[in-house]
Amino acid sequence: MKFSSAGYLIKEGFKNIWNNRKMSLASIVVLVSCLIITGSASLISVNVSTLISKIGDDNELTVYLKYDLSDIDSIKIGPEIQKIKNIEQCTYYSKDEAIKEYKDTLGNIYESMQDEGNPFGNAYKIRLKDLSKYNDTVKQIKQINGVDSVSDRSDIAGKLTKLNYFVTLVGSWIVLILGIVTLFIISNTIKMTMYSRRYEISIMKSVGATNTFVRIPFIIEAMIIGLFSGLLAAGIIIAIYTPVRDAASGIVRLINTSTLTVGDIWLQTLLLMSGIGMIIGFAGGFISISKYLKKEGGEIIGW
Amino acid sequence: MIHLENVSKVYPNGTEALKNISIDIQDGEFVFIVGTSGAGKSTFLKLLMHEETATFGKIVVNGHNLMKIKKRRVPYLRRTMGIVFQDFRLIKNMNIFDNVAFAMRVIGTPEKDVKKTVYRVLELVGLKGKEKHRPGELSGGEQQRVSLARALVNNPKVIIADEPTGNIDPERSFEIMKILADINNQGTTVIVVTHEHDLVQEFGGRILRIDDGEIVEDKYLKTKYHKNTVSINNANSEINFEDDLSNGNEPSDNKNTIEEKEADA
Ligand SMILES: Nc1ncnc2c1ncn2[C@@H]1O[C@H](COP(=O)(O)OP(=O)(O)OP(=O)(O)O)[C@@H](O)[C@H]1O
Ligand SMILES: [Mg+2]
Repeated sequence: MKFSSAGYLIKEGFKNIWNNRKMSLASIVVLVSCLIITGSASLISVNVSTLISKIGDDNELTVYLKYDLSDIDSIKIGPEIQKIKNIEQCTYYSKDEAIKEYKDTLGNIYESMQDEGNPFGNAYKIRLKDLSKYNDTVKQIKQINGVDSVSDRSDIAGKLTKLNYFVTLVGSWIVLILGIVTLFIISNTIKMTMYSRRYEISIMKSVGATNTFVRIPFIIEAMIIGLFSGLLAAGIIIAIYTPVRDAASGIVRLINTSTLTVGDIWLQTLLLMSGIGMIIGFAGGFISISKYLKKEGGEIIGW
Repeated sequence: MIHLENVSKVYPNGTEALKNISIDIQDGEFVFIVGTSGAGKSTFLKLLMHEETATFGKIVVNGHNLMKIKKRRVPYLRRTMGIVFQDFRLIKNMNIFDNVAFAMRVIGTPEKDVKKTVYRVLELVGLKGKEKHRPGELSGGEQQRVSLARALVNNPKVIIADEPTGNIDPERSFEIMKILADINNQGTTVIVVTHEHDLVQEFGGRILRIDDGEIVEDKYLKTKYHKNTVSINNANSEINFEDDLSNGNEPSDNKNTIEEKEADA
């Protein structure tokens, strides 16, 4: 094939889309639906992952001081906790605050259990830099005089890590399966398109066109359809992302603060979707036309 | 040049369409192939353009040994021949101009040459002004002529036509045969399958009769349409033929060499 043909072949690819507009439209609808479903599954999985790791980051421990420790002594312990390397944040939480929060939480029920005195001791709320060093840090805190106990969250830390892993795994499988279904549907769509155009392919070959010459416009056509579908799917996802996220936040408030905003995802979504769309177009076009190119012409249409 | 040696074609379903055929067609000949329906005429043409492969024997067409030809070389074989199909084989999504131009674009002809040549050839077959029409908007006879234009446009060594006049009135048939005869007089080999006895009598040339897969007759009929006549091997004809001329082949010979080079590039 000569280079002078390039312009013609590219133009032909564009023309084909219009000439076969019904099939093009069908392909776009199928591809867009598949990309939206797969893309949404990916985004949900990524967001759940993010949510879980944010919860992990938020991990707050309570250091309970001995019940009879005076307020002054309690305050003195603060700097000592802060000296420990793995402590990110350490705030004093007096027994008065504790009882107040308790009252607020329980509301009316508390009224019925009045006058039993304040059952809480003073405490510190701390946050660790690195959750995996949990055990060491807790040991160091416990060695400080006046510390009674530290709330045990080692199991939660482990569980969150496991959950994150699980969500990633399940998410990947769902996306993989959807991806395979997508490819299947798309290859069928392309096969249908090709079948309706085998006559055309046969004619081109009987006039002396090389396989490459026949193939290039078909592949360009498929890639343009793929790119367009990718952009469309990305556009739709980006457009509905915020409303869906807001609606979900209405149910679980944490979502609002602990998941990705549209600003975080739009670029990746756009690039990935259009890239994947083009790759699917290329692969689908290449594979499905090969079947018809193998024939030498006459077998397809006969004389 | 076309050379067949003990060629048989058995279709997968067991039909023996051609039986041990040997024949040579020289460059510049004008050949009619006649015979009853199912005799094997189309099969013969399909073997030449490598749409079917022979079961036994040897076929050489324009320097390509078809028993050994590699798949990727088949397009280059086909570019040495222009084929007029009985069913036209026009691409319905392309207008008339593009259908004819396609054959030129396939071989990488620059667009400005495509334009010039296509307009000229469409005028030759009497389709001036129809360039922008789609095949579906033309009559059967007009589509036939588009198919002819596409076969002519690359100035091939050989024109092969399977019943090119099958769908048209006698007047138009005559015109198409006239074009083919003119082209033959410029040195192109022309092979025409037809059922029309009148046309064969009118235009003459070499006449091959195929019956039940065998060549049962090979004769020459001289008419006013053929300025040049060419030597015929294997001809069992009693009718006069001159074996002096092989002129007019030079341009197409050069063309073939160019394409061979391109094929190797
Ligand atoms: N693809 C095929 N598979 C099996 N048999 C075939 C095939 N093509 C042709 N035949 C058989 O081979 C024989 C010759 O067919 P061919 O098409 O060459 O005839 P023809 O001389 O062109 O006839 P017509 O004048 O009707 O076009 C016929 O018996 C036909 O049925
Ligand atoms: Mg036939």
